[in-house]
Amino acid sequence: MHPNLSFEQAPPISVPYRFFVTAPWFGVAAGLVLAWLGSDALVSRWTPGALAVTHLLVTGFMLQAMCGALLQFVPVAAGGNVWRPATLAMVVHPLLAVAALLLATAFLTAKGFFFMAAAHIFAVAIGSYVVVVGFALRRTPAQGPTLMALRLAVVGLAVTATLGITLATSLGSGRSLPLIEITQVHAAWGLGGWALMLVIGVSYFVVPMFQLTPPYPARFAWALPPAMILVLTLWSWQLGGTVAAWQKAVLFVGILLAAAYAAVTLILQSRRRRKVTDPTLFFFRGAMASLLLIAASNLWFAFDADAGADPRATVWIGLLAIPGVFVSVISGMLYKIMPFLNWLHLQRLCGLGLPPPNMRNMISEQAMFGQMRLHFAALAALLLAVPLPLLTRPAGLLFAASCAWLGYNLAGGVRAYRRFRDQILASGASQGS
Amino acid sequence: MSGVNKIIDGRDMQPPEPMERALEALDTLADGDELVLLLYCQPQPLFNVLRKNGYAWQETVQDDGTHEIRIRKA
Repeated sequence: MHPNLSFEQAPPISVPYRFFVTAPWFGVAAGLVLAWLGSDALVSRWTPGALAVTHLLVTGFMLQAMCGALLQFVPVAAGGNVWRPATLAMVVHPLLAVAALLLATAFLTAKGFFFMAAAHIFAVAIGSYVVVVGFALRRTPAQGPTLMALRLAVVGLAVTATLGITLATSLGSGRSLPLIEITQVHAAWGLGGWALMLVIGVSYFVVPMFQLTPPYPARFAWALPPAMILVLTLWSWQLGGTVAAWQKAVLFVGILLAAAYAAVTLILQSRRRRKVTDPTLFFFRGAMASLLLIAASNLWFAFDADAGADPRATVWIGLLAIPGVFVSVISGMLYKIMPFLNWLHLQRLCGLGLPPPNMRNMISEQAMFGQMRLHFAALAALLLAVPLPLLTRPAGLLFAASCAWLGYNLAGGVRAYRRFRDQILASGASQGS
Repeated sequence: MSGVNKIIDGRDMQPPEPMERALEALDTLADGDELVLLLYCQPQPLFNVLRKNGYAWQETVQDDGTHEIRIRKA
């Protein structure tokens, strides 16, 4: 196959994979912490358990998966050259893992030392990542709304990390700051400015490509990311220490923007040119439905003051956002990215002998669908645990089980890569001898 | 000046099929022949292969978002 072609060195496959295979195990840890703490954990967003679980998911599961994916996505989709990706990954990956564990420990033990240690390690890891990836995105000659969203997402990551590090050092040192307002702004930038912005930028590229839908409408695609940044900037006004009444309206506009993205994505998927159905499509639909449910819930909380004032209202939104939107969409994307990267890297070896294997043979479709059903069952149980706290323990266990299955399936993808690579190399050696 | 044109319409194909077909077509592309690839995205991995193997290409984006990529030996 293609004996006359040579393939440029993209980042080694180990660069994204070390992040991908680690991410699900933070989901397992989050589920186990919930199961261990039981019914008290989800009564409010401010319990040590809820904060620990949230950060195991956002800085463990989500940050690992998203940083790994972006290192691969920047060269493949945006044509950017990341400086020394293998070295960057070798430094950033373990530091992020250690910092996420330290942060969760800090919330559970309320020990200042752990907050300080986590803050300093995050500063080094995310600081290096933002500089190197930001530079690659700035220099690429590519253009388009995907690139704009990716650039803004990296800005979002920098803002989120700066605020998070400020909060952690404040908790670690006892320094007095308007913690609630900073937390509100930190959470909005983390979920909206970094995570959702990245998902939007990647969707512009992969939804039409892998799901064979029409492209996102150009005006909408160009307008959405800067509109989100405007909303987040206005929302950040409260950093002075007071929340103005108009900021609730700003928050609502932000949620409507997110809902518009979800609605457009679902409409595009309903108009796909070939009725391809795979786990990625269902994960995406589950994530977009969760995003719409967030908007509907906020509307309900705005009109029903008692429901809105209940501390469990934010827990409900958090569960819809983190396991509902982001764990779903990331799981679906990993099931698509990993077989594709396996194929892309094996393709480079194929001048040596055997043709590359079919992408469908990388991770069993049955295993992916099974894991997906367990994930949505766990999500339903987590949501039910908000009004019925006795369900927190089984919901945590279900979520841990679904993440462990995801981790097992992804490890299977790595094993498939190694197996096919060894077969191709052995075939090349026997042909050459 | 112009040789045989081979067209691959990858717009209704799931990746990596368009790239598989394009690489197969490059294997047999004669001097002066042109390979035309129709896609809804910019195929950066393919551009890397083209750059590295001495192919020239021209890309135009049509009103419906189709990227038309015309490839020939440099």
